[in-house]
Amino acid sequence: MSATRNPTDWKSDVMQKRIARRYAAERRFKLMGLFAVMLSAAFLAFLLFTMLGNGLRGFTRTEIALQVDFPASPLLLDPANITDQGLVGANLPMVTSEVAKKALGPDADALLSPTAWTSIRDAIKADPKILSRTETISVPASTVIDLAAKGKGSPQAEAAVARLKQQGVLSTGFNASFLTGSDGTDPTQVGIWGAFKGSLLTMLVTLLLSFPVGVATALYLEEYARKSWWTDIIEVSINNLAAVPSIIFGLLGLSIFLNFMHLPRSAALVGGMTLALMTMPVIVIAGRNAIKSVPPSIRDAALGIGASPVQVVFQHVLPLALPGILTGTIIGMARALGETAPLLMIGMRAFIATPPGGITDPATVLPVQIFLWSDEVSKGFVEKTSAAIIVLLVFLLAMNGLAIYLRNKFEKRW
Amino acid sequence: MMHEPQTLTPATETKMTARDVKVFYGDKQAIKGVSIDVDMDNVTAFIGPSGCGKSTFLRTLNRMNDTVASARVEGAITLDGEDIYAPSMDVVQLRARVGMVFQKPNPFPKSIYENIAYGPRIHGLAAGKADLDVIVEKSLRRAGLWDEVKDRLHDSGTALSGGQQQRLCIGRAIAVEPEVILMDEPCSALDPIATAKIEELIHELRGRYAIVIVTHNMQQAARVSQRTAFFHLGELVEYGVTSDIFTNPRQERTKDYITGRYG
Repeated sequence: MSATRNPTDWKSDVMQKRIARRYAAERRFKLMGLFAVMLSAAFLAFLLFTMLGNGLRGFTRTEIALQVDFPASPLLLDPANITDQGLVGANLPMVTSEVAKKALGPDADALLSPTAWTSIRDAIKADPKILSRTETISVPASTVIDLAAKGKGSPQAEAAVARLKQQGVLSTGFNASFLTGSDGTDPTQVGIWGAFKGSLLTMLVTLLLSFPVGVATALYLEEYARKSWWTDIIEVSINNLAAVPSIIFGLLGLSIFLNFMHLPRSAALVGGMTLALMTMPVIVIAGRNAIKSVPPSIRDAALGIGASPVQVVFQHVLPLALPGILTGTIIGMARALGETAPLLMIGMRAFIATPPGGITDPATVLPVQIFLWSDEVSKGFVEKTSAAIIVLLVFLLAMNGLAIYLRNKFEKRW
Repeated sequence: MMHEPQTLTPATETKMTARDVKVFYGDKQAIKGVSIDVDMDNVTAFIGPSGCGKSTFLRTLNRMNDTVASARVEGAITLDGEDIYAPSMDVVQLRARVGMVFQKPNPFPKSIYENIAYGPRIHGLAAGKADLDVIVEKSLRRAGLWDEVKDRLHDSGTALSGGQQQRLCIGRAIAVEPEVILMDEPCSALDPIATAKIEELIHELRGRYAIVIVTHNMQQAARVSQRTAFFHLGELVEYGVTSDIFTNPRQERTKDYITGRYG
């Protein structure tokens, strides 16, 4: 005889309490999630705010307009010989100093950047006809004046800025040479182009090495390799490689590429190879997951009408897996782009004042350049460091944007 | 959908034969010695409860089981007298000659045109673009899909309805001019109207291709086939003329199955 069950009283106090608890738990969970999102948004906003606040000043430069009366100046320059060689030989630094002292007073040398004469040189190179007349040329102010004009100077410097402003020769504008120049000793003259180009070349080497090798590895392991203890070992090793600290890869690059293979030190080639070692496992893992997620029905369909295994892989599986592979590749490349430690190991921390011409030339990369500038004593480098960080972030955003574009372009829905 | 009673055409040409075929997955035996003949003029249906091995056996006929690493096939299967498991047999060519339509419609995520054109292209069956256009139209017509898609050949094949997708897959199989078409429960994912269209299509294709259809739907087997093979637990229990199997089964197990005792 079974006991008869009473009908459930859905309105009882116990039930009501249970419902209240359930709703409370849901509210708590939602609040926690919201809090987490707000916290990360706040951190991001703080990062962007401080970065832009400091960094945007790095893209501007204070300049002083100098009236140069070329015919009256003691310039020793053959007007018929306006070549790089001829200009280097001319006494431009002295002339600049003379002209500045006449216009701005005896302390002019402290007001102008030590390399101010290069602006005059560039003006002559651009238009030699100015040698026969008086020309107003803007030259960069010294770091002290630059900082004071941006509101961060000593009282003496502030006074000098006030005096220059009264003369109407001071201007602060966008500093194009920051984007076109390279590393230097004077913060008013340094630029990011050398490091940017170095990063570009290094990434190119990394991509060209790690993408084909990574994709081929992923395809082989997923499509061809038979399951055995041997492929298990390879799989575990690749997964572990992806988690190895990056500095270890730097040591590996140092001992293999430099000490054993004797490749050029500090070059984008070696940097790219080292970073490729680091990026490849990431691409392999992402690639295998993307290949795994291609529905087996597509393989069946292709095999069923007589496509060969190679045709199945290259005409069906790979195109469908490509968006996922690209996502993984970009994650790996973004990590490689921000990497500093392994590159320090292979000598990419050298002071390099000319942009690399090719992958075997000495080069530096953006994160290393940031690291180097952050170590500088001169106060002018502080805002340059932040500005370089902005350039790095923009580079990263551009790469991610490209990845999203490519993924959407290749993504097929079914 | 009314059709004339399913009469058996006297077999003129035996297309495929299987003799004492055994299939193993690792240590487990899935097919226990099946012998069967498939001829050109009659549709052969494989029926039986789930897991009885009918799909497994079907996949041995075009060596799709090769893709399963642990699968092993014993016995002899021939196509036009040639052993398809012989080392000299090229599996790619075999699958072009023995086409397959799957349970779930699986068009490529490409245009309707590309779905049909893919097979002829990889096998070099079309002499040029114009020739390919002809093949695509002919295949879609035979698959009974031409009138529905002729104005949108370059739309995605995956945007079609389920029934249309399945007919596209049949058209894709037809496009490489196979001799045999294997259908693995082609209507199990379709609604009754789409199912009726596929069944009608099978009638129209009969005679041109040797057709083998696996189905769990006994009424469908009765409607579309002239010969029926009943599988149970990896064995071929009974193989004969469809009307005999359904009206006068000789084996007790067949009788139990078609009267709904298990399944």
